[in-house]
Amino acid sequence: MAQVPNLIPALPEIFLAVAAMALLMLGVFRGDGSTRLVSWLSVAALVVAGGLVLAVGGPREVTLSGLFVMDRFGVFMKLLVLLGSALTLILSMTYVEREQMSRVEYPVLIVLSTTGMLMMVSANDLISLYVGLETQSLAAYVIAAFRRDSARSSEAGLKYFVLGALSSGMLLYGSSLVYGFAGSTGFDRLAAVLAAGSVSTGLLVGLVFVAAGVAFKLSAVPFHMWTPDVYEGSPTSVTAFFAVAPKVAAVALFVRLLIEPFGSLVEQWRQIVWFMSVGSMLLGSFAAIGQSNIKRLMAYSSIGHVGYALVGLAAGSELGVRGVMFYLAIYIFMNIGAFAVILCMRQNGRAVEGIQDLSGLSKSHPMLALAMAIFMFSMAGIPPNAGFFAKLFVFQAAIEAQLYVLAVIGVLSSVVGAYYYLRIVKVMYFDDAVEPLDRAIPAESRVLVAATALFTLLFFFVPAPLLEGAANAASSLFAG
Amino acid sequence: MVEFWNGYAWPTIWIVIQIVAIIVPLLVAVAYLTYAERKVLAAMQLRQGPNLVGPFGLLQPFADGLKLFAKETVIPSGANRVVFVAAPMMTFFLGLVAWAVIPFGEGIVLANINVGVLYLFAISSLGVYGIIMAGWASNSKYAFLGGLRSAAQMVSYEVSIGLVIITVLLCVGSLNLTDVVLAQRTVWFFIPLFPMFVVFFISALAETNRAPFDLPEGESELVGGYNVEYSSMTFALFFLGEYANMILMSAMTVILFLGGWLPPLDVPPLNWIPGPIWFALKIALVLFFFLWVRATVPRYRYDQLMRLGWKVFLPFSLVWVLLTAGVLIAFDWLPK
Amino acid sequence: MIVQGLAFYMFAAILVASAVMVISARNPVHSVLFLILSFFNAAGLFILIGAEFVAMILVIVYVGAVAVLFLFVVMMLDIDFRALRSGLLRYLPIGGTVGLILLVELAVVLGAWAVAPEATTGVAAPLPPPEITNTRAIGQLIYTQYVYLFQASGLILFIAMIGAIVLTLREREGVRRQNITRQVSRRREEVVAVRKVPTRGGV
Repeated sequence: MAQVPNLIPALPEIFLAVAAMALLMLGVFRGDGSTRLVSWLSVAALVVAGGLVLAVGGPREVTLSGLFVMDRFGVFMKLLVLLGSALTLILSMTYVEREQMSRVEYPVLIVLSTTGMLMMVSANDLISLYVGLETQSLAAYVIAAFRRDSARSSEAGLKYFVLGALSSGMLLYGSSLVYGFAGSTGFDRLAAVLAAGSVSTGLLVGLVFVAAGVAFKLSAVPFHMWTPDVYEGSPTSVTAFFAVAPKVAAVALFVRLLIEPFGSLVEQWRQIVWFMSVGSMLLGSFAAIGQSNIKRLMAYSSIGHVGYALVGLAAGSELGVRGVMFYLAIYIFMNIGAFAVILCMRQNGRAVEGIQDLSGLSKSHPMLALAMAIFMFSMAGIPPNAGFFAKLFVFQAAIEAQLYVLAVIGVLSSVVGAYYYLRIVKVMYFDDAVEPLDRAIPAESRVLVAATALFTLLFFFVPAPLLEGAANAASSLFAG
Repeated sequence: MVEFWNGYAWPTIWIVIQIVAIIVPLLVAVAYLTYAERKVLAAMQLRQGPNLVGPFGLLQPFADGLKLFAKETVIPSGANRVVFVAAPMMTFFLGLVAWAVIPFGEGIVLANINVGVLYLFAISSLGVYGIIMAGWASNSKYAFLGGLRSAAQMVSYEVSIGLVIITVLLCVGSLNLTDVVLAQRTVWFFIPLFPMFVVFFISALAETNRAPFDLPEGESELVGGYNVEYSSMTFALFFLGEYANMILMSAMTVILFLGGWLPPLDVPPLNWIPGPIWFALKIALVLFFFLWVRATVPRYRYDQLMRLGWKVFLPFSLVWVLLTAGVLIAFDWLPK
Repeated sequence: MIVQGLAFYMFAAILVASAVMVISARNPVHSVLFLILSFFNAAGLFILIGAEFVAMILVIVYVGAVAVLFLFVVMMLDIDFRALRSGLLRYLPIGGTVGLILLVELAVVLGAWAVAPEATTGVAAPLPPPEITNTRAIGQLIYTQYVYLFQASGLILFIAMIGAIVLTLREREGVRRQNITRQVSRRREEVVAVRKVPTRGGV
């Protein structure tokens, strides 16, 4: 009889997978009328999974024959992912009902996608990395096309799927090269082999391909092409989800991949990350200027934010990783808040997504406009908002790693970025409304907008707890 | 020279002899299966059946064969010639090639490979290609409809066949067909796994496109389905291939559930009769069931067919896989 | 050995040739048929290296099920593939350039082929003892060491299934469905009435 592996560290993933199946059963038997119930139960499942993450988290523990790892870095990232998923799910409930796409599979797919993200965060082997990534992506492709009667949504889903499959191909090709030249797919083993100082060209080419595959999921330049189209075409609630949870998981994966197995190749991969980071920051700022659709704008904004987060990774130091994690935490709050506002944008019962439709928001919905302004200021990195510290810490890490050019480009592009963020504020406060937005705003959205806005402010004044958590988590990555 | 003879030439010749020894009786069996079919149907419908050519009409199959050989092969002008001709060859070829792994008795087998069950399953799942290629290449709507129906049907029923095979394999612990038969020395698997036996038999009917699942070639609605455009030799190859497949599926049923070449009880005089004869008798019995079903059960409607495959057999056989595995583990009966 | 060598070259040559035909055949149905041929030859190669289980699964899954559905779809499509392919010449220069670059890169990589010495010791994939068939060996690995990946792959297929259903299943209105339970539980008394019909009277 073979020994049953220690399943405790993987408990959150197991729980979520089982919960998703149970919820699907419930939903299928109860019919589409029970979508709201299933959604709330899904949120509950995500919360319980968060509790489990906290319960099983602790010092680094490798299990399932070395394929799975649980450490404090994982705990932090998983909590962010779960938080992002749960909050976007809450936000989307009313939206999916209004848009007549209220079907029970929606929350179930989000839970399954989240399971994939947790698997990504905990991957300790190139194969488990791929499997987690694919679990997450496959569910994401489906929900991108969830409004199947809309040509744009179907197009978004298809585009996402085809390009995603291409990137998976690159990832696998790179993994096979890495395996061929290093003789293992396990992260621990890879780290040992590479630390021993044998680095061949083939391995580096493999690393480049793997990085390209992950960058695709991250939507970092030059693999960002799909992002604006997919973000614009998908239902807005799905866009909100895409902009938050998968990003966090992909960044977490990238960080673990580069720091743990390829940690000794920092000089080599730093060039790649440097290029991606600069490209993303510049493209995110300049391309967003001309946008008139707010979802497209958020797409470019998210590309830019990935660029800033990668600044911390390019530093390759514990400080840098801490910056990345702090950045992601703040990013989640800002983005969920902003999307909560976008999801409230309706005229005469119809969802609208033009930036001009926000005009006069300060008159019709003063609180909403205030919250949106806070998010925009925070995204631009203007104090007193948490976004300021987020940028500060990554740039600080970059300077400490003597990446001066990178830090300077980052600061300059955030100045450019501030232009379009502030344009939204200007539209809200100084333009006259052609047609005011609807007044009916769901209660969940009100609560979430208020809460995220408060947190965005709060983390400026008391960043210490979050920062400590991030530092604590980052240190676990460098301990071994 | 001697080395070449011993190393290459003789083994090749020996294999060819073995192949001929399998194929010739098989083709004769196919011929007489058509005869038996007509006789059995006739008997069940209170008719005489073929009785003019030779004593009791025993030469009828050969007369039919000669007739087909003598006719002209017609290839429709709109047909895709290569695929059109390749399709019946494929069906016939697949009907024969599967017999390579069938054990006719202890040690009497052409290729005693480790994954015999999978090989059989693979070959039987390929049978669909002949039909779908024929349906498409004929460039005729009846043929195409027949091809589509059969593709969907065979793929659907393969799923439950696969699960049934898994239950049997759980009880055997090997994928070798000889081992499968030898594992039934104490009890034939159709007794403990009776529901799976029934599922397998019905799925075999569907897999071979036999009544009541003969929609792909439903004469009354599709004027013969995928083989509507075929004539003479090409048609004969289809015919031979299909009947060879029927015998093959019966042989699979016998090997998996009815103890292969083993006698019903290991006592004289039953065990004086050689294994291959028992094997042939059991195949004949299963074939009789094929014919019996054809004579009595009306054709299924297409949605009923799909419902049976996906909504009844699939969950049912899944539950049985679980149940079998559970029982085997609970009583520690797993084969080592 | 000679026979095996010849068999290898035969399988390999047909595999490559049919793979080329998959992308160059004019008729999409022919492409799928060539794809099937290449699956077969890949299975043949697996058998040559003694991986009979993988070979059979390749045939059962890819040839027996996946390619059938491919064929099914391709036959139903009424696409003028010649028109689709007319862009080929236009994209040939750029595609060719990319391909060439990749080829050169591969050459560079393979030219610098040096497997790390530590790596070879790290390849912890012991060959199973000869008395264990490779089906059993694969089973012993999948269900112990790689059980996580096995289960996770199952989860992926589950998601794919949900996705396929979500995106395509439409409940149509006004379809009369068969209720088997009701049909079977129907009793003779409920549906048959025996009446005495008077002559020239009718019911």
